[in-house]
Parts: sequence; structure tokens; C-alpha cells
Amino acid sequence: MTRLGRIIATVVAISAGVSVLAGYFTDTFSSLGFIILGWAAIVIAFAMMLGVVNILRVHTNKIRTLEKGWFYSAMLIVALALTLIIGRNGPNSAAGQSLFDYILRPLEASLFALMAFFVVSAAYRAFRMKNFEMALFVLFAIVVLLGQVPAGFQLWPDLPLIKEWIMRVPALAGARGILLGVSLGTIATGLRVLLGADRPYADVE
Amino acid sequence: MVSLTQLSALILLIFFVTLILFFSNRTRQGRVPALRPIAAFSTLKGLMAQAIESGRKLHISLGTGGITQNAPADTLAGLTALEYLSRQAAASKTTPIITTADPAVMLLAQNTMRKAYGPDKEGAVKSAAQVRWISPEKAAYAAGVMGVLSIEDIAGNVMIGNYGDEYLLMGEAAQQQAKPITTVAAAAGPDVLPFLFATTSHALWGEEMYAAGAYLDRKPTHIGSLLAQDTVRWGLGIFILISVLLKAFGVLP
Repeated sequence: MTRLGRIIATVVAISAGVSVLAGYFTDTFSSLGFIILGWAAIVIAFAMMLGVVNILRVHTNKIRTLEKGWFYSAMLIVALALTLIIGRNGPNSAAGQSLFDYILRPLEASLFALMAFFVVSAAYRAFRMKNFEMALFVLFAIVVLLGQVPAGFQLWPDLPLIKEWIMRVPALAGARGILLGVSLGTIATGLRVLLGADRPYADVE
Repeated sequence: MVSLTQLSALILLIFFVTLILFFSNRTRQGRVPALRPIAAFSTLKGLMAQAIESGRKLHISLGTGGITQNAPADTLAGLTALEYLSRQAAASKTTPIITTADPAVMLLAQNTMRKAYGPDKEGAVKSAAQVRWISPEKAAYAAGVMGVLSIEDIAGNVMIGNYGDEYLLMGEAAQQQAKPITTVAAAAGPDVLPFLFATTSHALWGEEMYAAGAYLDRKPTHIGSLLAQDTVRWGLGIFILISVLLKAFGVLP
């Protein structure tokens, strides 16, 4: 990218950002903001095509060099080709919809079902008491777990109330504190881009 | 007509910008503040060296977010960390594997890698080729990353970006590999933070991830924005406290 190109890229990026931001404050800019976001959607659609090229390049390279796991790469390319052939009439066609309903969605559901086991193994590791902080964490976790189930009420009728207090007061206060910090961090990151201090689109610092 | 909410947001923004410019300028003049140590950033700095020493690879995940929507600030934080790691990669002639869920982020990550290699065109092309777009679907992205972690010989795993529940699938996959993988992870959502706690001891909690540029590169604007955030946070904290007291004493309705 030449120096002029970099200047143009920066001016376009900052102008687009400022116009979209101004759209939140005045109606004059809100329509312009929508137009710019529409352009962004078109650019991302093109980026998606480049993404498909990227997938093909990465996995054909793996097959060509017989890297570890090359068979999975071959399966991926076959699946990609089959999806393109079967879904050639669009994602809303009967065949395209079947792909989503009978292959993609069940696969996603199966993967997320694994989370139940992953939660158990992660919790086992997390619940090892190494210091006072961890002991406190385990204590609160036990109270909340017992407070959620009928057995907890049978053990001590006040347990669900204590659980409610933990969730409503310390846990909520902590979450709000985190969210406040995240919001400020998000604003600061956005402003740095608008000020031209962060330019991930430029090819030099 | 500008509403009261819009006006107060505008005032806060102008105040924020003024603070960023003020503190950035002060930092440029050499008045650099001492930043509290964050262990995860120290680990991140040594991760590339650890991967090189062990002859294994580094994986960098930029999350399931995008750049135009779905938490772009988290993605930009990931790209800032990538910028630092890409310079280390260029200096040591190694190529980390970078995975993204958004094709536009893939292009930005490729650009970041090329930028780090500068005049070394061959290295730039080789490293940009290691940026992989996996899928915009969260579950499919998680499955792809799990594949990378188990098939490729990974020593270090950096996960900075926007994540939902799918983080656990990837974080736990890194934990369960036969060869130990050091994971440095960051997430902003309070729902995901417990998963970070359970899967890594090198976590960046919430807002800490936005401080990557200040901690890793000591960029004046990043340090300036960090100080601006702290100032506004103190202001908001005092405002909340005064409001609570006024309410408690019946001054406010």
C-alpha cells in the first residue's frame, strides 16, 4: 500500500466510523450510518468468498503434503463440494434445508451435548482447593449447587434463601463490575480506532 | 432533537476522548505510569519462545466475533495481541496457526502477519497462509479449533476475542491433550468467565484483554486510554456511591 493509499484508507475508515457514531445522536446521520453498514455487509460477503478460497488452499496443501490429519482435510473438501452440489438451488430449497435440518443441526447439538462432560471434568479441576481463594470458591459453589436442588432444602430449609442472596448480591455485584469495566474498555477501543491510533486495516504501524 | 440520554452519552464520549488525548500526550512525554502486573500477559510474552524451544507450534484464536458486529472490540483486542506475537514470529522465523470465525477478521489477521514481516515477502506469504478461516458457526468453529489442538503439535494456545459457551469445548480440549498446552485466554462475558477459571490459570478477566496494547507493546495511546478508563471508572464509582447515599438518606426520591 502506498503512502497515499494508507491516507485514503485511514480517512475512509475514520469517516465511516464517525458517521455511524453520529447516527446515534442525530437523525441526519442515521440513514448514512445504515448505508455504510449495508456496504460493510457487501464487503463481508466478498470476504466470505475469500474465506472459502482460504479453506480450499489450507486443506489441499495438507492433502498434497500428506500432513497429519490429511484424511480429515479430504473429508472436508468432499463435504464442501457435496454441500455446493446439493444446495445449488439455495439454502431455502428442500435439499438445502435438509442439509441443515438433518446434518448440520444434529452435529451442532451433539457437539454442545459434550459440554455436559466437559463441565464435569473442568469443575473437577477447578474445585481443587489450593489456597484460601479456591476454598471460598468451592464453599460458594457447594452452597449454590445445594440451594438449587430439593435435597438442599431437605438438609437446611434456609439454603435456597442463602443461594438466592449469593446470586442476587455478591454474584450480581461482581458481574456488574465486570460489565462496567468491559463497557469502558469497549468505548476506549472504539475511540482509539476513530482517532486513528489503531489501524488494523493499514499495512504499517 | 437530542434526548437527555443521547446528550449525556455525547458528553461522556467527549470527556473520554479528551482524557485519552491528555494521557497519551503525557505518556509520549515520558511520564509512563507503572502498570499493575498481570500474570497472563507475562505468560503471553514468553509463549512464542516456549513454542520454539519445544519445537512445537503456537495457536492463536481470535474468537467467534466479527469486526462490524458481535463484539468488535474483543476482536480488536485479539488483533492487538496478534500484532505483538506476529512480530515475535517474524523475528524467530516461525509461523503460528491463526484461526478466525469471521472472514473479514481473517483478512485483518493476514494483514497483521504481513505487516510484521515487512520486506520479507516470502515469510509474509508463508505466515499469512497459516491464517485459517474455519466457520462462522460457533459450534463448527469450536470443532475446527479442537481439531487444530489435537492434530497439530501445539505448545501454546492464545484465545483472545469474543466467546460464548463454545469456549469450554476449546479450552477443555486444550487441557485434555497428552502433551501439555499452555493456554492464555480472555473473555469479556461474565457467563464465560467461569469456563476460563476452570480451564486455564493464565486468564485475562473482562476488561484486562483491552489492555493488551498497553502491556505488550507499551503504546502511548493504549496506555493513555487505559488511564482514561481508570479515571472514568473512578468517576462513575463515586457517582454511584453518592447516588446510593443520597437515596439512603431520602434526599433523592
